[in-house]
Amino acid sequence: MITLTGAARLTELMLALALLQQSLEHLRGLRDERMLFAARIALCLLVLAGVARPWPLVGMAGLSLLILQRFQGPYNGGSDRMGLLVLWSLALAELMPSRPLQELFFGYLGAQLMLSYFVSGAVKVVNPDWRSGRALSDVFRFSAYPVSEGLRAWAQRPRVLLVMSWAVMAFELAFPLTLLWRPALIAGLVVAATFHLANACLFGLNRFFWTWLCAYPAILWLQGRVVGA
Amino acid sequence: MNNPLRLLAPALIPSWNFFDVIAPSPRVEYALSETATTAPAAWTEFRPRPARVSILTMLMRLFWNPRWNQSLFVTACAERLVDQPTAHSEDEIFRRLAVDLPDDAAGWLAFRLAFVSRQGETIEREVLFQAAPRRLETLR
Repeated sequence: MITLTGAARLTELMLALALLQQSLEHLRGLRDERMLFAARIALCLLVLAGVARPWPLVGMAGLSLLILQRFQGPYNGGSDRMGLLVLWSLALAELMPSRPLQELFFGYLGAQLMLSYFVSGAVKVVNPDWRSGRALSDVFRFSAYPVSEGLRAWAQRPRVLLVMSWAVMAFELAFPLTLLWRPALIAGLVVAATFHLANACLFGLNRFFWTWLCAYPAILWLQGRVVGA
Repeated sequence: MNNPLRLLAPALIPSWNFFDVIAPSPRVEYALSETATTAPAAWTEFRPRPARVSILTMLMRLFWNPRWNQSLFVTACAERLVDQPTAHSEDEIFRRLAVDLPDDAAGWLAFRLAFVSRQGETIEREVLFQAAPRRLETLR
């Protein structure tokens, strides 16, 4: 079973790498962005080195407010929001003076990861367009996400998209059940990571892939803490 | 301008309602003209998609994808401009359009937002916003 300290440190390392990758991308951005992300790169390197814990992480949380202010919200929607959730849950957990409070904040991250799949499935399954495969067809047909015009041709494959829609919804809705048995959770996370990888390739959502992975140690720890206890 | 704590709140208490409905999707189109009052002769789509992207390129973009992520941010600004118009969203689109243009481009830059949606079986396109032109030199 993974310990709280081990899971938190693993999350910290994965998050620092994910935010380092994003920050390097921002160095190609506008001039006023570069200062903010150069500072974040420095903080990511301190987190990776394990220097002066937890202050570089707390500094990254503070800096995230300036970045939110700069872009008047997340730069890349849901993926940046997950990055913020991981960052703030971890920073608050590490700042807490007692073990129960540390567990509360870190466990919150694991619980939110579970909800990220379950609620996404629930809001889709109540929509007739998702149940018929039409919503996924619309994603390929006219949304801003497909990375090439060639991918839009997938909109012409209604049977494939129907199967894909139900596979995604069924997986998302069933995800909480994987918490009952550790091998099922690990298998569930592998499937989920594959789903994020597909989204990264087809829709260019590389940030989703890396930031969702960052929350996996929290749910692995939470499962051991709650079900394994 | 929104308070950063207000902007942080949806990240800490997320709704997780990704793709619950497939909303009309914006396309940003820009045009250059010689004066602020000249009607643009032609609109050009900002960063149109390539016909094909290889699997190798898709995988490499896992590690390096700044251009696409910037395009997604421009799309987000376009959605914000229609939902809750702010000078910030308009400024962001103008500045990112400006840096994408060749160095020798000059004149007045304008953009408009065409939203694509499905109505029944038909794909429809409607221009919902058009920004007043700005002198290109002031945007760089």
